[in-house]
Amino acid sequence: MSGILEEIETKIQGIKTSTAKSNVGVVRETGDGVARIEGLSDVMLNEMIEFPNGIFGLALNLEETEVGVILLGETTKVAEGDEVKTTGKLLQVPVGKALLGRVVNTIGEPLDGKGKIKTDSFYPLEKIAPGVIKRRSVSQPVQTGIMAIDAMIPIGRGQRELIIGDRATGKTTIAIDTIISQARLNKAGEKGELKDYRPLYCIYVAVGQKNSNVARTLAVLEKEGAMPYTTIISAPASDTATNQYLAPFAGAAMGEWFMDNGMDALIIYDDLSKHAVAYRQVSLVLRRPSGREAYPGDVFYLHSRLLERSARVAEEFGGGSVTALPIIETQAGDVSAYIPTNVISITDGQIYLETDLFYQGVRPAISVGLSVSRVGSAAQIKAIKQVAGKVKLDLAQFRELAAFAQFGSDLDAATKARLDRGQRIVELFKQKQYNPIPVEEQVAVMWAMQNGYIDPVPVDRVKEFQIKLQDYLETRKESLLASIRDKKQLDEELESQLKSALEEFKATWR
Amino acid sequence: MKINKEIRRLSREMLRASFTDGQLDPGRIASLVDSLIARKPRHSVEILQNYRRLLRLELEKRRARIETASEVDPETRSKLIADLKQKYGNDLTTEFVVNPQLLGGMRIRVGSDVWDGTVCNRLERLQQQL
Repeated sequence: MSGILEEIETKIQGIKTSTAKSNVGVVRETGDGVARIEGLSDVMLNEMIEFPNGIFGLALNLEETEVGVILLGETTKVAEGDEVKTTGKLLQVPVGKALLGRVVNTIGEPLDGKGKIKTDSFYPLEKIAPGVIKRRSVSQPVQTGIMAIDAMIPIGRGQRELIIGDRATGKTTIAIDTIISQARLNKAGEKGELKDYRPLYCIYVAVGQKNSNVARTLAVLEKEGAMPYTTIISAPASDTATNQYLAPFAGAAMGEWFMDNGMDALIIYDDLSKHAVAYRQVSLVLRRPSGREAYPGDVFYLHSRLLERSARVAEEFGGGSVTALPIIETQAGDVSAYIPTNVISITDGQIYLETDLFYQGVRPAISVGLSVSRVGSAAQIKAIKQVAGKVKLDLAQFRELAAFAQFGSDLDAATKARLDRGQRIVELFKQKQYNPIPVEEQVAVMWAMQNGYIDPVPVDRVKEFQIKLQDYLETRKESLLASIRDKKQLDEELESQLKSALEEFKATWR
Repeated sequence: MKINKEIRRLSREMLRASFTDGQLDPGRIASLVDSLIARKPRHSVEILQNYRRLLRLELEKRRARIETASEVDPETRSKLIADLKQKYGNDLTTEFVVNPQLLGGMRIRVGSDVWDGTVCNRLERLQQQL
């Protein structure tokens, strides 16, 4: 008890002796979440400004006689004539493992009613991305559990892979499936079931979304047991444009903590179209000149500096990584709009989702022709490469032939075989939501496809065949799956085991 | 007030011309305003308004506002003025204000610099720290 009294006494002494020098200004104009301030001669760009009533703002426009400040929090309490002062601090958010399992707002305050976040570490929102010396190339996979992605558009740790598509085509579902898959792998890793496994922590940044959508996502993640490895940052549509603009940067700061401490993180920015809209609003209210589609000139830099913070750092710097899955919503499939083209050019590939495919029942509705991963194949495990090497080509040829075959009735045997195979691959890649498939099962199923075990199965029963096969392998051939998981490649021994397992299963399949 | 580049440029030029030996010259200011009114260029009202604003900001940089909880004795007053003039230049004007809400101590504001040694401020900081 006496310790506390002494501590207070020293604090009082410290205050007694010092006269605080500060730099102040006066609010001349306020509205739409922005205040214009006269004075503040020593203000720095992006510095936090303290308003009366405990409100803070961020200095974004430093002009000749005025400073444009965006307000964080309650904007209605700021009045003309209020005296404000500089703080000498940059905006920062709490970081660390204490945030896992929590739902927070842009500045890291809890929204889930689970009490205060106990952490001593804080990171600034804006930080320069790691340079060339610190980085290394992508070599470890992010297993999304979505067969079409893991086989054809693999994602590596440290990569930035865009998920792009119209509204209601399953963009968020891919992100949530990936989070669920990571949670399952993390759990298995904790139990020691996976050799040399590095846990991947997830950060889901919801920008400009409906609160009901965020609540639904939270419910799914809680139900699937993924929340202990996940942080949700929510800046919903009802939040201020300032908070929506800053939320992805808060997510990046939280992810960087994991990277700096030798761990891996995955950030989902859902979505950057709304983020750009929020930034456009802030910029227009700040009276910055507008450019194409009324976006400010630095909207490209906004997204490039955000996504550039995703990296895989070299072993001597801890070997951590931040993987980013930004999401972009297109209007009527127009990928040539301003923001989609910007983000496509920044990222290391994109997963393009098509409305037509979605309504044909191909879900996830991934367009194989337009989707690409520029660096991820280096991160694919060898077993997947062995079984899925030609799948993308087969599917592309199938699509071309399918369009051609509509006009002719007589097809040669080779074309027909190709069409049959293509139809079955399409069926195999259909997958229920929130149901990621472990990589070893993906390998087994694709091996069966590659070696013609699925060819005799009628197309409409391929999915049933696949599910039964997975059940059979999980219950009867657990050791085979474990060997694939550990060896990460198919050797002769594993192939013969797979062959005998498939023969055995086929005998029972009706 | 919406101002365009031209208004901003002209009012800034007028401000630059308002100084004699680094100090604001009331005579020059008056003649500048008179000549502008006589010539009546486009947006002359807006130029004058912006010029007035720039002058106000310039004057604020050269004005010290000293707030205390009680009246300051003449000796401290003259010492304070001398110290401030030494730091900010001889054209500094001073204004003494009594504000009992400060409880004790002194608060000096020159332009946007503030030195706050008031009891009120110390209590606020103590509250924040605890």
